[in-house]
Amino acid sequence: MMQTAVISRTLLTVWTPVFSSLAARTCSNCRAVPYGARQYSVIPPSTSSEEKAMLDRMLRVDHAGEYGANRIYAGQMAVLGRSQSAPLIQSMWDQEKYHLQKFNEILAENRVRPTLLLPLWNVAGFVLGASSALLGKEGAMACTVAVEESISEHYNSQIRALMEANPDRYKELLQMIKEFRDDEMEHHDTGLEHDAEKLPGYWLMKTVIQAGCKAAIYVSERI
Amino acid sequence: MAVLLRGLRAGRALRGLSKVTVPVATSPHCTGVRRGFHRAVLLQVQKESDPDDSSSTTTSSSSSSSSYHQHYQAHPSESEPASSASEQETPTPNTSYTDQAGEESEDYETEEQLQARILTAALEFVPQHGWSVEAISAAAETLGLSSASAGMFTNGAGDLVLHFIAHCNAQLTETLAEQHNQVQLGQAEKKTTAEFLRDAVEIRLRMLIPYIDTWPQAMSILLLPHNIPDSLKHLSTMVDDIWYYAGDRSTDLNWYTRRAALTGIYNTTELVMLQDSSPDFQDTWAFLDNRINDIVNMANTAKQAQATGEAVVQGLMGAAVTLKNLTGMNQRR
Repeated sequence: MMQTAVISRTLLTVWTPVFSSLAARTCSNCRAVPYGARQYSVIPPSTSSEEKAMLDRMLRVDHAGEYGANRIYAGQMAVLGRSQSAPLIQSMWDQEKYHLQKFNEILAENRVRPTLLLPLWNVAGFVLGASSALLGKEGAMACTVAVEESISEHYNSQIRALMEANPDRYKELLQMIKEFRDDEMEHHDTGLEHDAEKLPGYWLMKTVIQAGCKAAIYVSERI
Repeated sequence: MAVLLRGLRAGRALRGLSKVTVPVATSPHCTGVRRGFHRAVLLQVQKESDPDDSSSTTTSSSSSSSSYHQHYQAHPSESEPASSASEQETPTPNTSYTDQAGEESEDYETEEQLQARILTAALEFVPQHGWSVEAISAAAETLGLSSASAGMFTNGAGDLVLHFIAHCNAQLTETLAEQHNQVQLGQAEKKTTAEFLRDAVEIRLRMLIPYIDTWPQAMSILLLPHNIPDSLKHLSTMVDDIWYYAGDRSTDLNWYTRRAALTGIYNTTELVMLQDSSPDFQDTWAFLDNRINDIVNMANTAKQAQATGEAVVQGLMGAAVTLKNLTGMNQRR
């Protein structure tokens, strides 16, 4: 027992500076991950700067998307918080909070830059949620349907891209994105079940919101 | 391996030759081509001289093999014709040809490694020649290359300055990672954020001290339009590294405000350092202290302002509800 402690201590004190400095030197494109980062991570350590850039973009836009969805539900709850549909919206909001938390962890661990437009998505999301909820429960559900459809499509295209690149390497990441995509599809179906299509002007609202989502996704990937 | 053996034999032959001839003007840092030539020439000569120098080669073989062994420990792939020459010269700087994976590869060095070697050597000539192509040419000459090799660097002095900055940043990252390990292992106390930032910036700025006289020239080179993207990239990665090791894991706008603040602190402190003449730059470190305290105070003030704002909003909402109650607007009729 003492010996294993001594050995492991020697291992740590003698070899970790060597390993960390080797890691710092050999991987000139990647940045040194300090000792103490979790060994298990959803994202594999990058081997090239192009891969890091691609993963950074994907994670940044996903994080922005979940942040925006969070704010949309917050806006809806601010208006409909005391109505009959409150528990439903609250449960969907809790799932989005969980998604956002996961992405926050991943961004912090992998040193990904968050998008600069977060304050904009903060305000825009809240305003969208609140204004759609002012049209009543159907309005809130229609907004949910539109946004969740956009997000699911976006996640699907990311899944396709990762599968094309290297399904084995990104196994955990793919699993996580698939899980989130399934959650979003569930929200979409819930919205449809709860009379989203009964809103007058449903088609117009859906088109406008989806166009806005596409623009937001495009911009968040880059800025 | 066969090359090394051939080289050994060539070395032996050279020893035999050197008694008869000639200035082995080969510096230990020949590039592959020149060594190839030498080897070819020496092998030919060896065939002729072998029958003659049997006695001398036996004595020289032992000495050359011992010098080979010595050199093997320092730089294995280089022992061949240079071993006898370098024995008389001063100990050579490390010139082993290791590739990215750390393995010895015989005679092969990528162009990047060669460029890095030249630029690192050029740093010694900076106090004399400034950050310029002359420094690079002088370095190329000491490495045994022609001074025209400096033409390999299309950006000239800019390449030299950027190489130096990248080197300093890498050293800083190593130091910070090492300190992080120490803290993780419980061998060192965790510093406060302000202290950590202060120490990190001081460590990094101290690396400029040997070149402080010529640093204004380097800064002006970095401000040239074609160098700005690269210098900004180096600066931003350095600031990101410092904050990461300071423990910042924010994923909102704080990410940007913190890095912007530290960039400002670093740049202004660097400028102060340039015209600081106090012993060991004490004034600079005092300036740095004050700036870091400013940032900390600002952050605290911002937090207080936010808390106050929230309290005020709640107070206003309470007042509105009270008013509605008083005017009877809250009742359903």
